[in-house]
Amino acid sequence: MILPREISSAAAARRSLLADLLVAIALTLLALQLAAGVGVVGLVALVVLIALATSIAVEAAMRRRSRRKGA
Amino acid sequence: MPPARPERSRAQISLRRRVRRILLLASIACLVPAGVSYVSAMSEKHNVGLGVSSVEWLRQNGGGALVSQIETWYYTLTAPEKGGPALSSLPQVGVKAARGSGRPGSQPGYRPPRVRPIIHPALPGEGVWKPAAAGAGPQPPVLLTTFRSDPEYPQFVAGVAWIDSSRTQLSYVPGLAEPPPPLAHRGPSEIPGARRKEVVATFNGGFPLETSNAGLIYRGRVKEAMVDGIATIVEYRDGRVDVVRWHQGPSAPANVWFAKQNLPPIIYEGSLNPNLSDGPEWGETVNNAVRVWRSGLGIDRRGNLIYAAANYQTVESLAKILQRAGAVRALELDINEDWTSFISYRKPGAIDPSNLLPDMLRPASRYLTPDERDFFAVYLRQGEGW
Repeated sequence: MILPREISSAAAARRSLLADLLVAIALTLLALQLAAGVGVVGLVALVVLIALATSIAVEAAMRRRSRRKGA
Repeated sequence: MPPARPERSRAQISLRRRVRRILLLASIACLVPAGVSYVSAMSEKHNVGLGVSSVEWLRQNGGGALVSQIETWYYTLTAPEKGGPALSSLPQVGVKAARGSGRPGSQPGYRPPRVRPIIHPALPGEGVWKPAAAGAGPQPPVLLTTFRSDPEYPQFVAGVAWIDSSRTQLSYVPGLAEPPPPLAHRGPSEIPGARRKEVVATFNGGFPLETSNAGLIYRGRVKEAMVDGIATIVEYRDGRVDVVRWHQGPSAPANVWFAKQNLPPIIYEGSLNPNLSDGPEWGETVNNAVRVWRSGLGIDRRGNLIYAAANYQTVESLAKILQRAGAVRALELDINEDWTSFISYRKPGAIDPSNLLPDMLRPASRYLTPDERDFFAVYLRQGEGW
């Protein structure tokens, strides 16, 4: 199958999401394979999730603050 | 101005966001199997709190080393300081010795000598054996005592029970979750109703198989391959019990009814194990020098069982308690306040249960309802009456 060279920005976003999803699944399988048990995997995943949520929240707050300063 | 710099900056942000998105998706995907396992484990029958069950789930699912490390840090930080005010009394254990309520014409048999106090002057009743049950006659099957076990920590009190093997029969009772399935003839995971009139004591059964890396024979069949060199509580088919260092290979010898292993022996042929410090042979647990609730089981020169438990013990101090109480061979059983229990029943029918020490966390009714952990029940032998 040949993918079209000229694609819309929405299609590009979908493609990148699909690629990221595949990488995430591969990482998950690797983690489940290598870890001593599902408990450790879950605990690490929970910590990563909390860290990511914090970083997203901090970033959003900073963006909001810079927008307010710009206004 | 060439647009190179803003484009590169946008590309960098995009890459960072993609990495974050990948990690986010991977974390969510990882949480799915973990969540399914956790919810299914928590929805099973439990008689401990959610916190303890969650820690146990983590321990059983690859987090044993992590849990042990966190526990070691916690107990090290909260370790008691040496010294402190002396105690003026010991917790009351057992009942007053009653005369003449045993079998008609029975002669008083062997009774262990008083446990010699370590700290002087001795407190009233220190090291003096008392019957665990009322109306147990001149030869009570279970005797209890307490004594201060460490001169450097004069507030530590050890509880010890002596079990007359000639009058009692030891039974291994599997818990709801330990040993893990599959297990034929698991039973009710509590003192069976039909045997409650004979039960005189119950006590905790040792580390889970996963953390002890040791073996189990149940009803003459191997549940988990036995490991040579490991301390083992054995009951033979003729009803005799022993605490031995296992040397019979991975399978079940024909004369063994049950055998539960737990770590290397802490006392062997009268002497403390010279290697009571840490090493992989001590299982996936907190550091041996950490002061925590610990329990152990030994056997005296006459083949009677001796159980000991106390808070703030190292493996070495537990071994010294058992040795002082008369054990010539002994192993460590469970540690931590959530798992350490010795319960005696003051009246026939498992009535009036009583913990060996008043500060034992689990209720004295623990083994009257299904428990997730395995335990030992001590019954009067056939023909033996209260």
